[in-house]
Amino acid sequence: MSLAIATESVAESEEEPLVPPSATDASITALIADPLLVRGAGRSWWIATAIAAALTLVTIIAIWRLLAEGIGLLGNNTTVVWGVPIANYVWWIGIGNAGTLISALLLLTRQRWRASINRFAEGMTLFAVSIAGLFPILHLGRPEYFYWLAPYPNTMTLWPQWRSALVWDFWAIVSYLLFSIVFFYVGLVPDLATLRDRSKSLRTRRIYGAFALGWRGSARQWRLHQALYSTMAALAVPLVCSVHSIVGLDFAASLMPGWQETIFPPYFVVGAMFSGFAMVVLLAAAMRWGFGFQQIVTVRHFEAMALIILASSLIMTLSYSTEWFSGWYSGKAAERGEIAFAFTGSYAPLFWAQLFCNCAAPQILCWPRMRRSLTALVLVSLAILVGMWLERILIIWNTLSHGFLPSMRHLFLPTLEDGLLVIAPLGFFAMLFLIFVRVLPAISMHEMRQLLHERTRP
Amino acid sequence: MTAKLALSRRKALELLAAQTALLVAGCSRPREEIVPYVRMPERMVPGVPLQFATTLDLGGYGRGVVVSSIEGRPIKIEGNPMHPASLGATDAFAEAEIFSLYDPDRSQAVRRSGEIGNWAAFLDALQPRLLELAPTQGEGLRLLTGPIGSPTLMRQIMALRQRFPRLGWHRHDPLEDQAAREGARMAFDRPVTALPRLADADVVVSLDADPLGAGPLQIINARGFAANRQARRGAEKIGRLYAVESAPTLTGANADHRLALPPGDIASVAIAIARALGAALPEAALSPEAAGFASELARDLTAHEGRALVLAGPTLAPDVHALCCWVNAQLRAPIDYFEPDDRAQPSSLADLVRDCAAGKVESLLILGCNPGYDAPPNLRFHEAIRNVDFRAHLGCCFDETAALCEWHIPQSHILESWSDLVAPDGAASLVQPLIEPLYDTRTAHEVLAALDGSVASARDLVRDTWKASAPAGDFEDWWRRSLHDGIIAGSVGKPVSGLSPKLPQLKSRPADKLTVVLRPDPCVYDGSFANNAWLQELPKPLTKEVWGNSIGIAAPDAAGLGIVDGDVLRLTANGRSVEAPIRIGSGHAPGVLSLALGYGRTAAGRVGTGVGANAYLLRADASWAIGGVVATPTGERRPLVSTQKHFSLDGEASELFPTFTLEQFRASQGNAKEAQLPSFFSPPAGSGARWGMVIDTTLCIGCNACVVACQSENNSPVIGPEEIAAGRDMHWLRIDAYQIGSSESPRTGFQPVPCMHCETAPCEPVCPTGASVHDSEGLNVQVYNRCIGTRFCEANCPYKVRRFNFFGYADGQEYRDLGADVMRAHNNPDVTVRARGVMEKCTYCVQRISRARHAADKEDRLISDGEVVTACQSACPTRAISFGDLSRSEASVSALGKQPQHYSLLRHLDTKPRTTYLAQVRDINPRLEGKTG
Repeated sequence: MSLAIATESVAESEEEPLVPPSATDASITALIADPLLVRGAGRSWWIATAIAAALTLVTIIAIWRLLAEGIGLLGNNTTVVWGVPIANYVWWIGIGNAGTLISALLLLTRQRWRASINRFAEGMTLFAVSIAGLFPILHLGRPEYFYWLAPYPNTMTLWPQWRSALVWDFWAIVSYLLFSIVFFYVGLVPDLATLRDRSKSLRTRRIYGAFALGWRGSARQWRLHQALYSTMAALAVPLVCSVHSIVGLDFAASLMPGWQETIFPPYFVVGAMFSGFAMVVLLAAAMRWGFGFQQIVTVRHFEAMALIILASSLIMTLSYSTEWFSGWYSGKAAERGEIAFAFTGSYAPLFWAQLFCNCAAPQILCWPRMRRSLTALVLVSLAILVGMWLERILIIWNTLSHGFLPSMRHLFLPTLEDGLLVIAPLGFFAMLFLIFVRVLPAISMHEMRQLLHERTRP
Repeated sequence: MTAKLALSRRKALELLAAQTALLVAGCSRPREEIVPYVRMPERMVPGVPLQFATTLDLGGYGRGVVVSSIEGRPIKIEGNPMHPASLGATDAFAEAEIFSLYDPDRSQAVRRSGEIGNWAAFLDALQPRLLELAPTQGEGLRLLTGPIGSPTLMRQIMALRQRFPRLGWHRHDPLEDQAAREGARMAFDRPVTALPRLADADVVVSLDADPLGAGPLQIINARGFAANRQARRGAEKIGRLYAVESAPTLTGANADHRLALPPGDIASVAIAIARALGAALPEAALSPEAAGFASELARDLTAHEGRALVLAGPTLAPDVHALCCWVNAQLRAPIDYFEPDDRAQPSSLADLVRDCAAGKVESLLILGCNPGYDAPPNLRFHEAIRNVDFRAHLGCCFDETAALCEWHIPQSHILESWSDLVAPDGAASLVQPLIEPLYDTRTAHEVLAALDGSVASARDLVRDTWKASAPAGDFEDWWRRSLHDGIIAGSVGKPVSGLSPKLPQLKSRPADKLTVVLRPDPCVYDGSFANNAWLQELPKPLTKEVWGNSIGIAAPDAAGLGIVDGDVLRLTANGRSVEAPIRIGSGHAPGVLSLALGYGRTAAGRVGTGVGANAYLLRADASWAIGGVVATPTGERRPLVSTQKHFSLDGEASELFPTFTLEQFRASQGNAKEAQLPSFFSPPAGSGARWGMVIDTTLCIGCNACVVACQSENNSPVIGPEEIAAGRDMHWLRIDAYQIGSSESPRTGFQPVPCMHCETAPCEPVCPTGASVHDSEGLNVQVYNRCIGTRFCEANCPYKVRRFNFFGYADGQEYRDLGADVMRAHNNPDVTVRARGVMEKCTYCVQRISRARHAADKEDRLISDGEVVTACQSACPTRAISFGDLSRSEASVSALGKQPQHYSLLRHLDTKPRTTYLAQVRDINPRLEGKTG
């Protein structure tokens, strides 16, 4: 695990502590819990929520229109039968990958710096996967029958067609979503108990108390909790890999040039981690500013994430090159034509933008100064998020627009509905996240205290 | 409050309850009663279509057809093998008549000055006029018709002439080939119409003629052409077709050698050929390339004397036509001349307009033509007709001409009418109605009968015509047989013999800098099909354009004007201008622009009004080539709507559309059996039929009959220009047009692409719900009910033959008014009308296979070869499509599969398609190879 080694060295460098030297258990807990229980939401929260709510409304209208009038509202056509919803789906699943990855993989590899980012990263996962799960349904011609992908008993005695990658996909999303919810909740239980205990009002105490499942913080409870949490983390890692591998198979298990490639599953997993970390950086920067978490979300954290982003970018670049090489090396006219079309065809400006965002821009993180500059990191993260969306849409557009028969080559012409479905769900996501940070501790209090404990008594 | 009005609380609640109950009841489905037949009509079995022979009209000529009618609704038109102008095949127009019959924009009531009237009121208005006309022998009464191919109508006009000797009859045909008519008169001193026998010609030279293009002769010519394109090992018979033309036509696309020249130079080619045959004519100037081409034409023609043919097109001058008549006589060309039925001596539209302007016309009856739209604007038909006191119009739609007339009488569709029609070779056949008129409509026969003062049914009028000429014996037997067969036995005309054409004197004409060549449109013809949405949405054979016309222009000319595809060009000629977007098309001669007629209708109906540009506005007379045109770019852009954007095959040509020269074909050792690719798939199980299709690209001329036939058979919806522009064409069968060879003079190849019904179909494993599955006979079938619309199947289909209902195109979200109730009647009840959100595709006409299987099972036998005929196969005039059971070695598809030029599309993907192709084989003239396409 080269990534882990790279970040370990950062953690070990000990230039900058992960928790402030003056911190105590009480101060850390207060820092995280007070915004929820004591302080009201600030003006910036209300403004952000208002914008997010407006976009959520747009999302609802866009979806309602799509269901009422049909998916003809999208720019899809007979040649490019897939479009924005599928690209969105892959993109959001990718975002959703990072949370569990950070939580589980970094836990297993003992990356202690994860403690200050894993909670909200997991929250991000839940929201992103939920949004991602909407798109495969919305893209259906007859969304009302989406449940036919599930093997439920029915009078027609029909089952899903198991050879289809879409059925695998259905299970991958469902199991990943269910697992992410449980994992998130298990990690949350001790903190819910803390909130229950610090609550000023009876109502919040009861609500937090109900969800805290009677947590008392006994040694036995801690032991069981640790065992369960580590076991789940061990389960989570393969699941994280499988979910995006299977998304990759949606394309790879076909015969279209540019899709039928064995590299797709791993390349999708890395791509997911890449965009997921970019989103975590953005959210961490926003929260750090919004809640004044400068002490516990430190520049060291950002530096560690920057290194992961840099490494992912290099892997992405390598994957792209491998794809082009194997396409050329196959000697097939269709494969070579598809690659030439990507570089020089109608979508070439988008393709070059994708390469800039995903391969070139992150390279500035080679300079340590840039890794420690929040502005640079946020800009790079934004570029990556755009670049990865472009990658996903171009996987669809380039392959389908440039198929085997020249007579059926058509371009995709995006519509207003496509634009709404790209932009508006970001607002819905932001809305969910904003609510999350107001009702649940965005940083794991018990793990921060554990960090403190380990520092004081190594 | 009085006691009477007082409402007790109890009463009020009762009423409220009753009202609620009523409301609830009102929400339920409306009560609909079904009524079974009390007495079942004879021969009718519910669900089993009946077939009747009738005849359809195009340009005044009949094409015999057989119409399938299900429970009284005609739903499908197919060719009548016994009819000489159909030969069992159809064209796009014939197939689309079903759609015209149910067109919701059809005129449904008599109108007087736009107000709804009735037939009796019309008769009341007519009677006093007829009384006035009797003493003056019909002075001031005029009849304006289109080309008339009905002997009964002709007889009625003659009878009317007897009653009103001064009656004027004018004929107006916007697509009339006047040059050919005058040329023949010039050569033979008498009017004759020529009917070439392409089947008997080994070498055909087309001089801007389009024998394979749209028109009443298309099917006959296509079949004749196909007879000389039989690339079958050991029995090959391949002729050679040369085309010298100004703008691309289907004939040029199918030619072995093609040269693009302006019309003036084409005349010079004709002169060069004539000179080579010994005509004493002054030499005409030609470029070295064209002169070389012409001398090679002359050499090849003379080498095949007796089996060589020269055809002249409408853009050429009458004297060039006469010259071609002379050349054909020297070559002893296989061409028959027939005497046209010009007994009644019609005069022209120009004469009518002149008389109207002079106030000589008091009453005018317009039958089945539309000069309000297609008359040359210089005639000023619109102004002249206002001088006529009594103007009546008979037409299927309330069109441009109807708007100019006081009276409009709705005309019965030909599928609702009794009549008779004559084919180009004189063969007569009857027109019988398939359905009672849907509205209160009249046929031309009935209107003329009213003019004659009699009240006769069209059927009696037709019977009266034939009673005179029917052979002795029982007339009823003869009548029934003629109706049944769809052809009147022994009616084929006798060609005029002993004609010896004169060598004409040729006039020299100055060359024009810019010429516009007009063509009848392959989809809407002269404009009369403009409101037929099937035809509007039919991709034009060469450009694949739909819903409009565009100006074709050579690339250098476009570069000279600084315009690109989609830029609007204003053409000005004869004081009128027309604006249309341009389309750069290889195959245009320098200085030649092409534009199809039939568009720019202003009162066609909700589908056809305002589509495209009206090319008739450029005409000063019936000419087809308009010189001295001024072209000015307007700076505006109008995107071209087409279903295919890429025509070039680049490096993949040999793979997707292989071509053979005759020598290569003869030398090929044959593929006996293509080597099997290694595969993980087990060979198909089952011992039943293995349905397969073989399409011969040597024979396909790209005429589109199959595309409309498929649409008609399989209830494919019309989606409109916006949806086509979005790339959502719904035709199950498309004809891909590819340009092969050099970009200056490419050769066109047509490749009809239905579903391939792959044995290892890529669409099947990717469907999550199992909606795409294989049946026991190897058909790749789509279960609409099971489809949830993931579209993975189409994403994974290398041939992209699947079609998706992005909207409810046939299911509540129809284009314009095509969701009208009457439109539902055209649907084939054996084929599901697809809902929104499901995928669909070619089924190999599985309903026809089922019907054949039922018939065979009932008789306890196997389905015989040729018993299942798919809709596309049945329509094809060249018989390019074969269908049958591949498991039977004696089946024709199995035999075709052994031909050396047999190939599968994208074979390397190992999809094992059941639809396979025969590569194009052309007889290339080695002396011209490399010089022209």
